[in-house]
Amino acid sequence: MESIALIAATPLCLALLSLLIPFARVTRILSATGAWLEMALLIFIFQPLLHGSQTHLVFVEPFAVDKLAAYFAILTTGIVASCLTHACIYFEAESDSNIHHVKLFYASVNMFLLSMISVFMCDSFGFMWISIEATTLFSSPLVYFDRTKNSVEATWKYLIICSVGIAFALLGTAFIFASSQHGAIPHGSLTISLLIEHAGQLNYPLLKLGFIFCLVGYGTKAGIYPLHNWLPDAHSEAPAPASAMLSGALLNCALFGIWRASQLFSPSNRAFMGEMMVWMGVLSTLVASFFLIRQHSLKRMLAYSSIENVGIMLVAIGIGNGPLFFLQAINHSIAKASLFLVAGNVTQASGTKKLKGLHGLVESSPLWGILLALGTLAVTGAPPFGSFTSEMLILLATGNAASWGIAAGLMIAIAVSFIAICAHIGGILFGSPLPKFQAVQPIRASLIPAALLIFSLILGLLIRPEMLGALQ
Amino acid sequence: MAMNIYDLIALSSALLAVLMLGSMQIKNNLVFYSIHTFLLSAETWWIEKLTSDTHLFYVGLTICILKAIFIPCFLNWVRIRIGVRSESAAFLTPPIAMFLGAALMGLSYLISTQLPSILGEGDTRIGATAAMSILFTGVLLMLTRKTAMSQIIGFLVIENGIYLFTLTQTNGMPMIVEMGIMLDVLVGVMICGLILFRIKKNFEHIDVSLLTGLRD
Repeated sequence: MESIALIAATPLCLALLSLLIPFARVTRILSATGAWLEMALLIFIFQPLLHGSQTHLVFVEPFAVDKLAAYFAILTTGIVASCLTHACIYFEAESDSNIHHVKLFYASVNMFLLSMISVFMCDSFGFMWISIEATTLFSSPLVYFDRTKNSVEATWKYLIICSVGIAFALLGTAFIFASSQHGAIPHGSLTISLLIEHAGQLNYPLLKLGFIFCLVGYGTKAGIYPLHNWLPDAHSEAPAPASAMLSGALLNCALFGIWRASQLFSPSNRAFMGEMMVWMGVLSTLVASFFLIRQHSLKRMLAYSSIENVGIMLVAIGIGNGPLFFLQAINHSIAKASLFLVAGNVTQASGTKKLKGLHGLVESSPLWGILLALGTLAVTGAPPFGSFTSEMLILLATGNAASWGIAAGLMIAIAVSFIAICAHIGGILFGSPLPKFQAVQPIRASLIPAALLIFSLILGLLIRPEMLGALQ
Repeated sequence: MAMNIYDLIALSSALLAVLMLGSMQIKNNLVFYSIHTFLLSAETWWIEKLTSDTHLFYVGLTICILKAIFIPCFLNWVRIRIGVRSESAAFLTPPIAMFLGAALMGLSYLISTQLPSILGEGDTRIGATAAMSILFTGVLLMLTRKTAMSQIIGFLVIENGIYLFTLTQTNGMPMIVEMGIMLDVLVGVMICGLILFRIKKNFEHIDVSLLTGLRD
């Protein structure tokens, strides 16, 4: 009980404080510090899981975490903390910042963080649904921040498409509840750990229906093709730190919902579901990689790259490999957050998001140029960064498990997206430098992206396949 | 086939939802929505009487206060502030949309007979038919209407359909989950309503089919 109260207290207090404090600068620094504190707190509370002395940590009903959830919660908080730290520098460079907008932004960010942590800590499908819907509601003010025509349009699409999508996940949750009433548990239950225990005894047709609706619903939120329409809009119109959070933290939450639902199948009857997810993942990856070829805006391009990575993660979920799912998620989150933050710096300094209007970055700001280049390599899965390891392991796993078509599709998609992104980023890096390029505090604004990249590099150098067992 | 009271309530609620397809006046739609939702809370109370499951009473009460009274009033306030009276245009004319709604109700019956019979006691197929029909009607509302206001109403109708489905097929999820869902819907509608003001201010209309500034 105390640990749950502690975890909830920090973001709640900060959300309240951000509404009250009239100084934008104080709010920014407080929120960033608070997020780091929250991360330390989570690591402290989850210690028994991280050591491996326990596999489950049960708090008061309906909160409980297993190892994978604990790692995801820490990753999410870490990404949010990094983005908020960077936001201190990013927003200072914005010329006009209305204090009311800042208040709303930071109050929402803190509640957003709380709802994302609660997605991982819930032990009930009902509460998980509520938390995921809450992440949509609290992140919409982040997209809305600029209040321009485009950002209002993006917010509207985001809210409506995701809410309706998630409504279908609610229907799926109802089906899962019904399937438990027919099978093992007379009065029905939504408790995830209990349902996983009785995985073989749930009513199969109802469970199947429930899973399909959950996949469609949470898949909309995760941006799986063909439900991805809102994603490039929302990610490109939000301010850079918010885009990084949406891409690096929020997508994992939705995918985690799918992972939870997929755990309800016993090994004997999961083949159909697994195959469906794998093929949806491959399709998503392939289509996103072809979309990447014809892009005109830097941030939209990064958003499509997120869709591609979500597809790869869905493949990992489909083959039933939780640790691989987490590995791909952490590598993608870290690299993509870093890339979004650098891209935000560049668009802020040059005043345009259009790929055509951006060139000669290496000359106008060598530091950002190098970071952008390295970030691109990290996101697209080039060695020695972490994404290479995880994508390689997923490819190997698909090659072992099923037909060659999956591995081939994935390989084509990863290759196409690598070439496409590198070509676009190459256009930004080289060429004649922009005349009106004003880099504000280039060194301070590079700290967080560089730190994230170093972390990604360390992951790439250290992770060995044997270590994945520790995550289970 | 003798009709139970709760089947009757569920079906009339579904019929009211279909009626919404026939009206282009947003105010009428809100009134229909309010009655349609009130019938859902009546259904909840009826099932509470049958199963003597006290938590359903509170769920029904919350639905009555929040969804049948507060949300329509709030949306009506937004509507007056924005100054929108009726749907500017729809992709389908109201009569066709209504016929389609009725046809979808028939389809829902066919689907609900395919569902594994739920809970043994009694026949829940009519409830499932009504629930699915409401769900389809909500989707149809969202697909055929162009103003942002109708999109919100469509979303609410979809949510009602899902609620009725849960209620008739599983006798309701745990109360605290239902309350949390309602809170989310409430906050969602309020955020959407507030963003409507901003859409009106920036675009000078609330026709979402004209929101095409963002594309690849």
